[in-house]
Amino acid sequence: MSRMLTVENLSISFRTDEGVITPVQGVSFHVDQGRTLGLVGESGSGKSVSTKALMRLLPGTASLGADTRMHYTTKDGRVVEIETLANDGEPIRKLRGGEIGMIFQEPMASFSPVYTIGNQMMEAIQLHRPMGRREARSYAVEMLNKVGISNAEARVDQYPHELSGGMRQRAMIALTLSAGPALLIADEPTTALDVTIQAQVLDLMRDLQQELGMGMIFITHDLGVIAQIADDVAVMYLGTIVERGPAREVIRAPQHPYTQGLLAAIPSLDKLHDRLSPVPGDIPSPNARPTGCPFHTRCAQKIAGLCDARPPREIQTQPGRAVRCWLHDDEGRNAA
Amino acid sequence: MSLDASPRETLIEVRNLSVHFPIRQKRLFRTDVQMLRAVDDVSFDINRGETVGLVGESGSGKTTVGRAILRAIDPTGGEVIFHSATGDIDLAGASEEELRKVRSQLQMAFREEGGVAVQNLAGEALRAFRPRMSLVFQDPYSSLNPRMTVRDIIAEPLVASGLMRNRDEIDERVRDIAARCKLNLEHLRRFPHAFSGGQRQRICIARALVSKPEFVVCDESVSALDVSIQAEIVNLLKDLQEEMGVSFLFIAHDLSVVAQISHRVAVLYVGKFVEYAPTEKLFFTPRHPYTHALLSAIPLADPDASFEPIRLQGEIPNPLKAPSGCRFHTRCPFARERCSAEAPDWREIADEHFVACHFADEFDFSRPNLNAAE
Repeated sequence: MSRMLTVENLSISFRTDEGVITPVQGVSFHVDQGRTLGLVGESGSGKSVSTKALMRLLPGTASLGADTRMHYTTKDGRVVEIETLANDGEPIRKLRGGEIGMIFQEPMASFSPVYTIGNQMMEAIQLHRPMGRREARSYAVEMLNKVGISNAEARVDQYPHELSGGMRQRAMIALTLSAGPALLIADEPTTALDVTIQAQVLDLMRDLQQELGMGMIFITHDLGVIAQIADDVAVMYLGTIVERGPAREVIRAPQHPYTQGLLAAIPSLDKLHDRLSPVPGDIPSPNARPTGCPFHTRCAQKIAGLCDARPPREIQTQPGRAVRCWLHDDEGRNAA
Repeated sequence: MSLDASPRETLIEVRNLSVHFPIRQKRLFRTDVQMLRAVDDVSFDINRGETVGLVGESGSGKTTVGRAILRAIDPTGGEVIFHSATGDIDLAGASEEELRKVRSQLQMAFREEGGVAVQNLAGEALRAFRPRMSLVFQDPYSSLNPRMTVRDIIAEPLVASGLMRNRDEIDERVRDIAARCKLNLEHLRRFPHAFSGGQRQRICIARALVSKPEFVVCDESVSALDVSIQAEIVNLLKDLQEEMGVSFLFIAHDLSVVAQISHRVAVLYVGKFVEYAPTEKLFFTPRHPYTHALLSAIPLADPDASFEPIRLQGEIPNPLKAPSGCRFHTRCPFARERCSAEAPDWREIADEHFVACHFADEFDFSRPNLNAAE
């Protein structure tokens, strides 16, 4: 299993009218071939922004931190230092689509409404593969078949608005996969879908990943979805990864108070008569980021004078598991 | 609060409610009109102080049911009887003159917590009536007017209906409901843009409850919220219900949230009810194959739970071309010949457990219920 993506110390700052804000700070993760990393977090946690940085899709007001490293190994074994690439130009365009594909929450926003599904797929196919029009068209039909779209021969000539939501998301997956990416970034791909359709799409993505051996980054706020699709998980809070490890273990025995709170807040069918347990307080806005541990304002277990003053370092608690919390850092706590 | 003790006094009776929209398609020399049966022959009750959950996938007609009950859209048929302490009033077929008489009764009826058949009200009468019923909308960002202060937003239903005119009285009522909704009273003078999603949702709830309504439709009120905030709003709605005795129709596509908040739950499929039962019965001994499939598709945050969603074939049918017979037969794994030919009756298969399926007696979809073990 080879490592295809290593992200180290990713920090992203934006210039705003109210000064510079840094919604992502020191994020590190990696993706191996054939594995799925789940990025989970609530709105404003920086999960989408982080993956947009990978594709260099951030607006001009954004800048990367000086020690940000994003190293991607291409299909032919070259290492690309994404942080050094320009936002446009040949090198990044080679990565987008052909190496790293991206699926978004709302496929309607990613498709152009004025071209047929087939036209848009053929454009992507011909951009990345040496094929003529006719060949590209039959490949598009083949891909639509692969994602379970019935009657693909006819669908290929339809416009995006003629498809239902689930169908459109499948077409989006077909479009993204037709460029043959090695790494797939899926940003809340099932959030807008109904549960029965979500189950179909999750199934499909799992099967395709196995078949094609892709690495995948799956962004979601739903820990239920993570439990079903991710091998590893990274939990983000206010632009920092607070806990990471194998998805099974993190969900079964969360170590960070925020992960514990998130899991406890999920309504469970086995506890119908209990009150729900919300994580107290609101998520602070990115321009009022708390000092110290970003979660200390909502944490029931915070240590006064420590958690609100100094940011915790990442502690390896078990092989493959890490948590960023003073409660797990005996040495640091004693030294402080 | 315990969810199994369902309150008994009927507040709203929905009988054979239908909402059909004419869809016009212009052709070269003629216009084709097709009827979209968004809601078709739906009947159920909501008790005083009860929460009824309404679930279904997009396009199933859940929002339409909620709005038709509130008369935000006109039903095509059926009735919605809002029960009055002074007797039930049905305005079906009432003339203009009779309506005028009823309008004054209505005003009185409100003060006396009375009731009236909602879908027959028009114009002014409806406006007078609305304070008794409110809507909490899905998106707290788009439903708050950015140019009004939080105080004015919350006070709006009182002012618009003329229910209260005295400024001090209004202020007092607004402060009372804001406090119950755990809003900071200092914030009443601010504008909504400064607030987070959870706070905005509390503002929406305060506005819906300020007129002390007896019935509130919550349409996807917690869907746009993060889980940690969602849990807080669900708890708040339960508390407010206990304090104020209000009834909720809670519309959502997230089944686990609906299970937490509802006494009873109804499942809609392409404009028809397929099942209606007390929450535990519906979730742990469902009788309709569609309910069973929906429940199996919820991804649980438990790596040891088996996740084997029932594979439904195809997509939700277009309501313009609703299938014959049972509307679910095109996707039902158990469908037989009879299902495409004959629409199933809406029947009570067990105590308070309603289902529309020819073969419901043959199915056992029950799942282990850890709640019962307590």
